Amino acid sequence: MTETLLYLIQQLINGLTIGSTYALIAIGYTMVYGIIGMINFAHGEIYMIGSYVTFIVIAGLLGMGMVSLPIILIIALVVAVFIASTYGWTVERVAYRPLRGSNRLIPLISAIGMSIFLQNYVVLAQGSRDVALPPQITGGWTFGDPAVFEVSFSYMQALIWGATFVTMTALTLFISRSRMGRACRACSEDLGMTNLLGIDTNRTIALTFIIGAALAAVAGLLLGLYYGVVNPFVGFIAGLKAFTAAVLGGIGSIPGAVLGGLVLGVTEALTSAYFPSEYKDVVSFGLLVLILLFRPSGLLGKPEVEKV
Amino acid sequence: MKRFTKKLLTLSSAIALAGAVSAAQADTLKIGLAGPATGPVAQYGDMQKIGVMAAIKDINAAGGINGMKLEGVIYDDACDPKQAVAVANKIVNDGIQHVVGHLCSSSTEPASDIYEEEGVLMITAASTSPSITEKGYQLVFRTIGLDSLQGTLAASYIIDKAQPERIAIIHDKQQYGEGLATTVRNVLEGEGMQPVMFEGVTAGDKDFSALIAKLKKENVDFVYYGGYHPELGLILRQSREKGFDAQFMGPEGIVNSDLAKIAGEAAEGVLATAPKSFDQNPVNQARVEAIKANGEDPTGPFVFTAYAAVELMKSAIEKTGGTDPEAMADHIRANPLDTAIGKVSYDKKGDLTESTFQVYSLHKDGSKSPVK
Amino acid sequence: MQNSKFLSALFAAGITFVLACLMIGVKLDTEGTELAVTGATAEQWTWIGLGIGLVFLSQLFSNQIDAFFGKLPKPKLGGLLPEEKKRAALKPWLLAALIVGMLVWPFMVSRGAVDLATLTLIYIMLGLGLNIVVGLAGLLDLGFVAFYAVGAYTYALLSMYFGLSFWMCLPISAGLAALFGFLLGFPVLRLRGDYLAIVTLGFGEIIRILLNNWTELTNGPSGISGIPKPTLFGLEFTRRAKEEGAQTFHDFMGISYSSSYKVIFLYLIAVLLVIFVIYLINRLMRMPIGRAWEALREDEIACRSLGLNRTTIKLSAFTLGASTAGFAGSFFAARQGFISPESFIFIESAIILAIVVLGGMGSQIGVILAAIVMTILPELAREFAEYRMLLFGLLMVVMMRWRPEGLVPMKRPHLELKS
Repeated sequence: MTETLLYLIQQLINGLTIGSTYALIAIGYTMVYGIIGMINFAHGEIYMIGSYVTFIVIAGLLGMGMVSLPIILIIALVVAVFIASTYGWTVERVAYRPLRGSNRLIPLISAIGMSIFLQNYVVLAQGSRDVALPPQITGGWTFGDPAVFEVSFSYMQALIWGATFVTMTALTLFISRSRMGRACRACSEDLGMTNLLGIDTNRTIALTFIIGAALAAVAGLLLGLYYGVVNPFVGFIAGLKAFTAAVLGGIGSIPGAVLGGLVLGVTEALTSAYFPSEYKDVVSFGLLVLILLFRPSGLLGKPEVEKV
Repeated sequence: MKRFTKKLLTLSSAIALAGAVSAAQADTLKIGLAGPATGPVAQYGDMQKIGVMAAIKDINAAGGINGMKLEGVIYDDACDPKQAVAVANKIVNDGIQHVVGHLCSSSTEPASDIYEEEGVLMITAASTSPSITEKGYQLVFRTIGLDSLQGTLAASYIIDKAQPERIAIIHDKQQYGEGLATTVRNVLEGEGMQPVMFEGVTAGDKDFSALIAKLKKENVDFVYYGGYHPELGLILRQSREKGFDAQFMGPEGIVNSDLAKIAGEAAEGVLATAPKSFDQNPVNQARVEAIKANGEDPTGPFVFTAYAAVELMKSAIEKTGGTDPEAMADHIRANPLDTAIGKVSYDKKGDLTESTFQVYSLHKDGSKSPVK
Repeated sequence: MQNSKFLSALFAAGITFVLACLMIGVKLDTEGTELAVTGATAEQWTWIGLGIGLVFLSQLFSNQIDAFFGKLPKPKLGGLLPEEKKRAALKPWLLAALIVGMLVWPFMVSRGAVDLATLTLIYIMLGLGLNIVVGLAGLLDLGFVAFYAVGAYTYALLSMYFGLSFWMCLPISAGLAALFGFLLGFPVLRLRGDYLAIVTLGFGEIIRILLNNWTELTNGPSGISGIPKPTLFGLEFTRRAKEEGAQTFHDFMGISYSSSYKVIFLYLIAVLLVIFVIYLINRLMRMPIGRAWEALREDEIACRSLGLNRTTIKLSAFTLGASTAGFAGSFFAARQGFISPESFIFIESAIILAIVVLGGMGSQIGVILAAIVMTILPELAREFAEYRMLLFGLLMVVMMRWRPEGLVPMKRPHLELKS
């Protein structure tokens, strides 16, 4: 294989990995949006908290002398999901529930306030410096002729791909098959009517937030391990990108969020690969505008039917 | 009665006068400490705060200046230029005439306009942008070397010692990083060495795999990075994972024990231009201990530059016998002083005439050793 | 009943514990190059305990607390105003008094206060501009800061390259920002709701990144410094005239130099600009186009059925809002004397949007009040040092809960049938 081709393959692998990280966070966005039609601006912050909790647990367990990596990771996952879900639930309770029924911009602003609050809360509690964790999962596959260009694909990258695919499938099944999922879909159709039919909508919406937060925690764990670094400001940037990915794929659709994330990631990687990388955000936002011009509801979004 | 009228004037906020009156009469001299206490770069603001507060504590413990105690007043600009202007106005308003700060060059720049106009002495311990002192201001100084000096040193090291075959220059698209990277590129090109890549990354990004693949494809064997440690740390870490092993070099902004924490093994052998590390200097032994005893970190690059800024003010007040900023500025400009960061002497613009940068090799345990 | 109350209070306390235990109770630290965790000090645990206790008690007695706050009269800003008829008669006088007050006020207070007021006026202008787009026309714009940046950079660049004066650049900035608004609006305005929001957000980021990357023209991240301050018919407000032959204000007036003249002069310009903008928007709102904006916000389909051209209506709102931001931008550049791309980040858009929403969408008085609140609050919170932004975020949440309809909800002149 020629160098050009191997290089392209490597950049596609990179892009798909970045895309999967966006997708993991975007799924949470899209969940909440799909049910209550609101953007959860504090979602990125929950992801950041998930990362912090992961680091705390891993550092704590390593400090206590535990060596088995799988066990450490499982404990970290459970704790991170638990704590992040609690934060998600609290955000809903404090910033969304009291405002249900008012103009839809109101919760948006209170969520931005919540995001500023959480960011500064973590700064105060944990400091604003980067916290770094040594690589836990190392190694990977390489192929291609080392003399020409060696393509590498690490186990960690594979794990992220796998996790994205699994969460996407599991959630899609949950929404379409389970009883709770049916309640969620009912809520997104018509909140008032669902309530009349005896479904506890408050509970359903709270559950949506909890699931969204749990997904953010999974993303926090995986990306925390992958990059090995966390600071209180990672949530904001990641949240913005994930939000873009969710809209690109058609907000409200779970496969859409994943597709949007992947498209965004691959675009970024390819732009960095063949153009100066400082323009990658310009290209990806430009692509977003272009796609929305031709598909106003995103790649996989259902076109909105205007009803009179 | 006269004093009473003066007090009235203070109350009615006749600003310039109020400052002079309250400063002359108080037994404490307030020193403004402007920098980020919140926001993404708050950690650098902390370094400055640690240095200034340690200096004030030491001076007060030794009886103050001419019997006057010092007091540090913190003003948070969050490194936001808009807030920096508000802070500068507030400092003028509060009658403070001596400021250590600001931290980010983009905050220092608009704020220095105000200080110069209002007769406030400003010594920045961290802003390295050349344009700050290019306006010919009388009251603006810095205790840190210029970007351009560091860039030139790095470039000459690359040409004379490293002699790479294919060099790439990467920067973080911020004033500090891009300025340095541009200096290095210009010097290299002047000497006939053409970088194969000159590119910016986005500060705050986490994923540099695409960039690294590109470096690998270009067969780059030397990378100069203009920017700070968080991004370079990740670039090093990811390079190691991807099997890309070029020699990396960076400016003072990467010299931080956090680099080794982020990059781990990959931090071993990274080159950096940095001033002498002040916390290693035996002169500062007692100060380092005192800061550590306080539960704070003395190793940050701006701790002792900030400390020196206060020392400069102290000596100027003692020698001029007053707190008049203009007289102090003249004194500082004319008289070199031995401080925590070594001998400090200024040129006309308010830049250090000699800043002692040196090439260091960094190690994976966070320490560094000079390169011969 | 009491029992379930107790249980829910216990639940809330438990949640607080979970929230606090790992984030505040444990701190990540690095020893050497190893990551380690350290437990919080006893003092911190006491604070956590106190917090949990507080949450528990407030939940347990929430009924009583609610009842107590229910007794407190809710502030009714509308109620403070006199009757409709009287108001009409009083209005011109009140307005005149207000304007005179605003003009005289800066001479009596400190420089810092005047400067802060100037900053507030910039946000009022921005808020009023975004109010047209979000409040009146109902288009969610998350990238408003782009037009602000265009305005600021227009003045900075024109003055740097061509030496044009502030007064010359002011209309050009507004015009150029309007042009950008038009160019962006044309393709994207058929998008709905959140899709529009994300596209505008993307546009805001694109503008900022381009300003940052186009180093040859904009000086990139170093920004542009030494932007001249406005002059009063050619009189400068500096200590010494910058250009040959130019005269300074204090020489001309024969008074001694004081730098506060400059600050006050800037403030007065801001006041004039704001009054101009308010007047303009007020007129527009009463014109057919203003009615059309609101009609479109209320019901797009009905609007179209009545033969209104929605593209024209939306575009006009977008363009006008953008030009106001351009205005504010060029004034901001003049006030700062230095601009760089980092002044135009996303959070700025979010704050302007918060001003509009907090003010009560569409209401001009509301937007003005909200802009005052949003700029003064962080300044007042300076006392709290590092807790400043924490409180700011919290207050945004609290204010939304307290007055979800905005400080002064918009009221249309309307007739009520009394049965």
